[in-house]
Amino acid sequence: MANSSEHTPEVLAPTPGERLTNFFKRKDVRRTTIHFFLWTALFVVLGLVYYPRWMPEIMSKEMKSAESIMIWFTVISAPIAGIVLAIASNSFMNMHRGDTPPEDGPAIRTHGPIVAIWTVGSLVFALVAIGWGLIEVNSQAVAAARDAKSAITVEVTGSQWLWTFNYPAQGIETHNLNLPVGVPVIFDVKSADVNHSFWPVQLGVKVDANAQVTTVIYTTPTKVGAIDVKCAELCGLYHAYMETDGAVMSQSDFDAWVLAQGGHKA
Amino acid sequence: MSTLDKAHTSTRPVPNPKRSLITRLHMGTGVVVGIIIAAIAYYLLKHSVLTYTDGVADPLEPHSNNIVLLGTMFAWSIGFMAGIGAFIGPWRWLIGKDLTDEEILYMAGDGQGVKRYFKYCTDHKVVGIQYLVGVMTLLGVGGTMAMMIRTNLARPGGHFVTATVYNSLVGLHGITMIIAMIIVATGPFGNYVMPIMIGAYDMAFPRLNALSWWVLFTAIPVLCSAWFLGGIPTGWTAYAPLSVQAGPGMNAFIATIIIFAVSTAVAGMNITTTVIAMRTKGMKWNRVPIFVVGSTISVALAIPAFPTFMVAMIMTGLDRTYNTGFFDANMGGSGWLYANLFWIMGHPEVYVILIPGVAALMEIVPVFVRKPLFSYNAAIMGFAGIAGLSILVWAHHMYIAGWAPSLNGAFMVTTEMISIPTGLLFLVLIGTLWRGKPWMKLPMLSVFAFIWDFLIGGITGIYLSDVPADGYLHGSMFVTAHFHFTLMGAALTGAIGGLAYWFPKMTGRMLDEKAGYISFWFVQIGFNVLFFGMFMAGAEGQPRRVMDYAAMFKNSNLVSTIGAYSVGTGMIILLWAVIHSSRHGKVAPMNPWGAKTLEWTVPYPVPLTNFDELPVITSDPYGYGKGK
Repeated sequence: MANSSEHTPEVLAPTPGERLTNFFKRKDVRRTTIHFFLWTALFVVLGLVYYPRWMPEIMSKEMKSAESIMIWFTVISAPIAGIVLAIASNSFMNMHRGDTPPEDGPAIRTHGPIVAIWTVGSLVFALVAIGWGLIEVNSQAVAAARDAKSAITVEVTGSQWLWTFNYPAQGIETHNLNLPVGVPVIFDVKSADVNHSFWPVQLGVKVDANAQVTTVIYTTPTKVGAIDVKCAELCGLYHAYMETDGAVMSQSDFDAWVLAQGGHKA
Repeated sequence: MSTLDKAHTSTRPVPNPKRSLITRLHMGTGVVVGIIIAAIAYYLLKHSVLTYTDGVADPLEPHSNNIVLLGTMFAWSIGFMAGIGAFIGPWRWLIGKDLTDEEILYMAGDGQGVKRYFKYCTDHKVVGIQYLVGVMTLLGVGGTMAMMIRTNLARPGGHFVTATVYNSLVGLHGITMIIAMIIVATGPFGNYVMPIMIGAYDMAFPRLNALSWWVLFTAIPVLCSAWFLGGIPTGWTAYAPLSVQAGPGMNAFIATIIIFAVSTAVAGMNITTTVIAMRTKGMKWNRVPIFVVGSTISVALAIPAFPTFMVAMIMTGLDRTYNTGFFDANMGGSGWLYANLFWIMGHPEVYVILIPGVAALMEIVPVFVRKPLFSYNAAIMGFAGIAGLSILVWAHHMYIAGWAPSLNGAFMVTTEMISIPTGLLFLVLIGTLWRGKPWMKLPMLSVFAFIWDFLIGGITGIYLSDVPADGYLHGSMFVTAHFHFTLMGAALTGAIGGLAYWFPKMTGRMLDEKAGYISFWFVQIGFNVLFFGMFMAGAEGQPRRVMDYAAMFKNSNLVSTIGAYSVGTGMIILLWAVIHSSRHGKVAPMNPWGAKTLEWTVPYPVPLTNFDELPVITSDPYGYGKGK
C-alpha cells in the first residue's frame, strides 16, 4: 500500500478554506444561502415587530421580562429556523413532477461533523435559554425577598365568578384592583370554591387560586395606567366573564382612593 | 416473486367451524348484549345503591346517581365485549377445550369479506382498517365541535351556543381529539402496515389486538353520552375540584378514560412485543424501518404514562361516588395531586402523539427524495431522547399553579433540554432533503408542511417553557395556538402524509391526487391563518376556554374563525377523497412509490398471513442513491 502511493502524482488536498470557498460556489448552496437570509430576516421581524405590537402595555418588570424572552428567543432562534427552512424551501423549489420517481440522489448516509455541530449547537442554544430563564427567575425571587418589607399586601379571593381584593393594612375590600405605582405588592391568592387563576394582565404575573391554601405572587408596578384582571383557569360556566379592572396610580391618588373606600392609611 | 404469486393465488377452503358460538357473534350481538347488561346493571344499581344524607337514605343524592351511571357505563363495555365474543377464547382455555385450528382461522376473518370488519377479528389488517375508520370518525366529530367553537368566537358577544354547551364543546373537542391523535398513526398504520414492515405473519397477540380495538369502540358511545347527561364543564384536563362537583356528564368522561387506558395498555404491549420478538430473519435493530422504531418508542412511552391518568380518573370517580376526598382540600385532599397525576401522563402523552407522525414522515422522505435517510442514528437518538426527557418535564404545566414554585427552575432545565433531541429530528429531515429532488406527490407535501408547522410550534414552546414568559402566557390563547401547531400542524400532518403514502396498500387504490392537493392547501393555509390569529389573541391577553371576549380581541378572533372555515373545507374534501378513492380510485400497483420496505413486496389484497415464506433481510430499507 505504501509503495503504490509513492508512484501517484502528488495532488495537494484543498485546504479547509478552499473547501469552504468551493462549497459556497455551488449553485444549490448559494440559493440555499439566499433562502437562509430571507427566512432569518422574517423571524427577526416577527419577533422584533409583532410581539411588542400585540402585547399590552408593560407595567412591571415581570411583564418586561416576559416580553423580552418572547422577542429575543425568536431572534436567537431565527438563524436556526433559517437553516431548516432554507434547506426545505430550496428543496421544495427543486421538485420533481411526474408519475415516475426522480433519479437517485447522492447516497449520503450521515455526516459526523455536521451531526456533532448540530447537536452541540442545540445544546448551546438550550443552555442559553436555560441560563436566561434561571437568571430571570432568580433575580425576581431576590427582588421579592428584598422588597417584602416595604410591600403592600393584597389578599385576592377568587370565587365563581368574581374577584375580591382585601387590603388588610388599609382595611378595605373591593372588586377593583388599584395599586400605588413603584410600591412592591404581595398578592396572597386563594379560592372560595374551585381553581381559578389570578391574572393582572399588564403586570405579567399569574398564580392559581386554590381552596384552603394560599399561593403567593410578587410584582412591582412601574407605570401608571389601567389594568385588566382576568381568570386564566377554566372555572365553570361563566369563566369568560370572571374579569374586572383596576389601575396603577400615584401614591396620593391611591391614598385618596383608600380613604374614599372607607379605609385608612397603612 | 414466486412465493408471492403462490400466496396470492392459493385457495384455502373457507373455514366452517360448525356449531361454534364464534360464528354467530358480531358487532350487532355485542351491542344487544351490551345494552341488556347495561340495563340490568342500571336497574339493580338504581334500586340497591343508596347513600345517606344526614343518616337518611337518599336515592336522589348526586353520589348515588354517579354510582349508577358509572356502573351502567362499565357494564355496557363489559357486556359488549361478551356479546361480540371476546371472552370465548379465555373461557374455552379455562375449561380445557382450547379453540380448534378451524375456529382460529375463522376468527382471523378468513374468507368472510366485508363481514369480518364487524366481527371480533384477529387479523391485524382488519384491525388497522377498523382503527382508520374509528380515527376518521373521531376527527370528524372533534372537528365539527371545533367549528362550533370558532363560530361562537367569530365576534365578541357571540351566542351561537349557550355557556353550558360551549364549555362542553371545549372539553369534548379536547378529549375527542386527544384520543383520536393518540391512535391516529399507531392505530391504522401501526396495525395494518407495521407487522408487514417487519416481516411478521401477524401481531404477537392477535386476540389482544382485536380486544384493544373493540374495547376502544365501547368507549365511543360512552363519550357521546356525555352530551345527553349535561356535558362536561371542565375542559379535557378535568381539573379537580371542578370535576368532582361537575354534573352527571362527567361520569361519561371518567368511564371513557378508564376504558381507553385499558385499550392503549393492551395495544402498547402488543405492538412492543411484536417488534421485539417477531422481526423477520436478518432484521437487526439497525435495519428496522424508522416508522417501526418511532411507533414502538411511542407506545412504549404510553405504557407507563397512561395508567396515571387512569388512576387519577379512578380517584375522581371515587370522590364523586363515595366522597373519598382525594382531591378535595376541605377534606384534606389536594387539587395539586390531581394536576400532578394528570400531567405525569399529559406530557409524555403529547410525544406519544407526535413521534409516530414524525416517524411516518421519515419513512416517506427517503422514498420520494431517493436518498438514504440522513443519520438513522440521529433519528433514533432523537426519539429516545424525547421519550426519556418527556417523563421529567410534567410540572412545566404547573409553573403558575403555586405548587412548589422552587421546583420551577428544575422543570425549566429539563423542558428546554428537549430542544436537543427535537433538533435532531429536524436534522434528519433536512439532511435527507439536502441535495435531493423531491418527487412532489401527496405524501411529500406533508413533509414540507410539517417542517414549517413544527418549527413554529417548537419556537413558541421555548418561550412557554421559560418561567417568566409563562407567567404571562399560561392559560392564554397563545398556549392553545402553540399546542395546535405541534399536535395538529405536526402530528396530524404527519399522519395525513402517512395516509396518503400507505393508502394504496390499505385500499388497493391511489388517493385522488387533485382532491388531495386542494385539500392540502385549504387545510395548511387555513391552519396557519387560524392559529396566527390565536397567537395574536393570546399575546394580546385573551384567556383560553372563554366563550366570549373583550372587543379588543375581535380582529384576531375573526382571523382565527376565517382560518377555521378553510381548515374545515379542506378536511371535508379530504374525507370525500378518502371515501371516493377507496372505492373508485385508480387501481394501485404493488409498489407505486418504488419503496424498499417489506410492505410493498406483498400484493393487494394482502394475504391472510402476509407472507407465504418470511423474507430474509440483508440491509436496511434506505439503500437509495448513487456514488459513495
